[in-house]
Amino acid sequence: MALTQALTIGIDIGGTKVAAGVVDPEANILDRLRRDTPTTDPKETEDAIAEIVRDLESRHDVIAVGIGAAGFVDGTRSSVLFAPHLAWRHEPLRDAVERRLGLPVVVENDANAAAWSEWRFGGGQGESHLVCVTLGTGIGGAILNDGALQRGKFGIAGEFGHMQVVPGGHRCECGNRGCWEQYASGNALTREARELALSGSPVAHNLLRAAEGDPRKINGPMVTALAKDGDPVAVELLEDVGRWLGIGLANLAAALDPGTFVIGGGVSDAGELLLAPAREAFKRTLTGRGFRPEARIVRAVLGPEAGLVGAADLAREEATWLRRVRVKTTAVTAKTAAARGRSTRLERAARKTAGRRTGMRAAAQDTDLHPADLNGDPEA
Amino acid sequence: MGLTIGIDVGGTKIAAGVVDEHGAIIARTHRDTPADSVDATAAAICDAAAELIANHAVEAVGIGAAGFVSSDRSTVLFAPNLAWRDEPLGARVTEQLKVPVVVENDANAAAWGEFAFGAAKDVEDMVCITVGTGIGGGVVIEGEMLRGAHGVAAELGHMRVVPGGHRCGCGSRGCLEQYASGKALVREGRAQAESGSLAAVQMLSVCGITDPAELTGPMITDAAVQGDPCAVELLDDLGRWLGEGVASLATIFDPSLVVIGGGVSAAKDLIMKSAVQAFEKVLPAKANRPHAPFTLAELGNDAGLIGAADLARRPVPTL
Repeated sequence: MALTQALTIGIDIGGTKVAAGVVDPEANILDRLRRDTPTTDPKETEDAIAEIVRDLESRHDVIAVGIGAAGFVDGTRSSVLFAPHLAWRHEPLRDAVERRLGLPVVVENDANAAAWSEWRFGGGQGESHLVCVTLGTGIGGAILNDGALQRGKFGIAGEFGHMQVVPGGHRCECGNRGCWEQYASGNALTREARELALSGSPVAHNLLRAAEGDPRKINGPMVTALAKDGDPVAVELLEDVGRWLGIGLANLAAALDPGTFVIGGGVSDAGELLLAPAREAFKRTLTGRGFRPEARIVRAVLGPEAGLVGAADLAREEATWLRRVRVKTTAVTAKTAAARGRSTRLERAARKTAGRRTGMRAAAQDTDLHPADLNGDPEA
Repeated sequence: MGLTIGIDVGGTKIAAGVVDEHGAIIARTHRDTPADSVDATAAAICDAAAELIANHAVEAVGIGAAGFVSSDRSTVLFAPNLAWRDEPLGARVTEQLKVPVVVENDANAAAWGEFAFGAAKDVEDMVCITVGTGIGGGVVIEGEMLRGAHGVAAELGHMRVVPGGHRCGCGSRGCLEQYASGKALVREGRAQAESGSLAAVQMLSVCGITDPAELTGPMITDAAVQGDPCAVELLDDLGRWLGEGVASLATIFDPSLVVIGGGVSAAKDLIMKSAVQAFEKVLPAKANRPHAPFTLAELGNDAGLIGAADLARRPVPTL
């Protein structure tokens, strides 16, 4: 089978669920698995990953595994530095899982993985300057310039859920106050809805009835469903979240000036109920408005499986490229070494362009490819 | 390529210089900025450049302009403090001078100067904040200037930090520029003096003035250097806003270095200390991630001129 036709496994590790699937090169999911995330012990999470992969592998011929993890992934895409909802602290996830599975493993931030699939297959196709915002429990973000995921110096760029938008505002799990994700995420929607219901206001009547009279049972999907039925309070709650979304996007446009914002995640199921007020607030707060071209704000098209598909696709790119570059670079370096003795530089250039292709930025000081690999066995 | 001209168009002065490929300025001239007239500004720019071209073999001209420059690197879409609206500045100047001209945002030019020859010459990714009357920003990612889809990226001074906050020249409220710039420093200093606070009255006397309206940014910095507690506090507040703003930027860009330049950065540690402190306090998950150090810009007022000259040498990369 040609490598580009090969299957890979994508795994999306969220705060509560692990979702995995076998994905083909056209982003079709051929097989799925889901289970709860063991949140207390990093070892248990690894066990769960290994079990899932073995299970899927028993039915499909896969060449690599991509993991999208809800956390800060370091610049070499090997360790999870910090995960707000999981027990990972400087966890060398890639090597640990690779050792157990004997397959190439790619670890990527979950929002980056989702953004990658939106760029490849979804709402961001063909956009040279793309910013993806995933509105789930929190806010995940990713920046793709010319198809390259912008990872920053330490691998943690695009974490804009933690931009401060309100000085001294709501407390955030990250330790600060006033982070964007406290105003424009699913958590924010739920918090506001519950607060309203708890205040005993009669306008929250439908909301309370949907939650069987218990404000603590109110959740985001409930609000969205009510808003779609035309409940004015639910519409307002989504409007408020949408407005904060637009305000934050205007900040990002000041900094990044993208051509398109793709909005994904569970809250985006509200569609125009969320996006229309977001666009309005965006237009109302954008710096230099009226004198500059403005970014489009569109909904993600891949839904909750974007992260899984993206992780699988990144794993395929990486695995395909690993084999190809070994063949190619051998030829290039041999020729150039003979001609000019500048092989090291060319190897670096090869790595760098290849990094662009696979959505990974070249890590200058610490790359997972060693010169020995690059000069290695062309059959590998 | 050999020599290029860099021109920094400020609110009051147009500074021009011939710059070699190592970033050294080998000749200079300047003109006053006729702020109210678009035509006169273009004429003054051409005049300054022509004077330099007469004596040097110049291959291109780079203009740093305080405004939103379109991605064609020629048109100024909008300038908060000058009369430019969709102004084809590059085309006008090219026509006059008969040399290739690129127009860059002034803060981008200054950032590039620091990146190519100054405080950030050893790194590949950086965020540079120019704290002058307003706040300008420039971002370099993997050795390339961040321009965005429409050419107007890195307007870091216009990120909203306070909902419903102070009005800004850009049309919005609560922009970072209204809290961490020279303009903000003077506004706060004057407001405090007008409130009749004894500490502020003492600061005025250290500055050698009695009328709060005469207070300027450099006066406050001088007073702070002499240890005046009110002036020290004012700069401390500014530094804190700056640090918190940069922390938000770090969530977006995750740079290797943060460079602080512009006139207000002359206060050095008086703003840098509180800026770093605030940055480290509000950076998310700071205990579990590496983060960028802060450093002061090195090229001073010449950063924009040198950067514009060097950018004139480089075509925009097409990836």
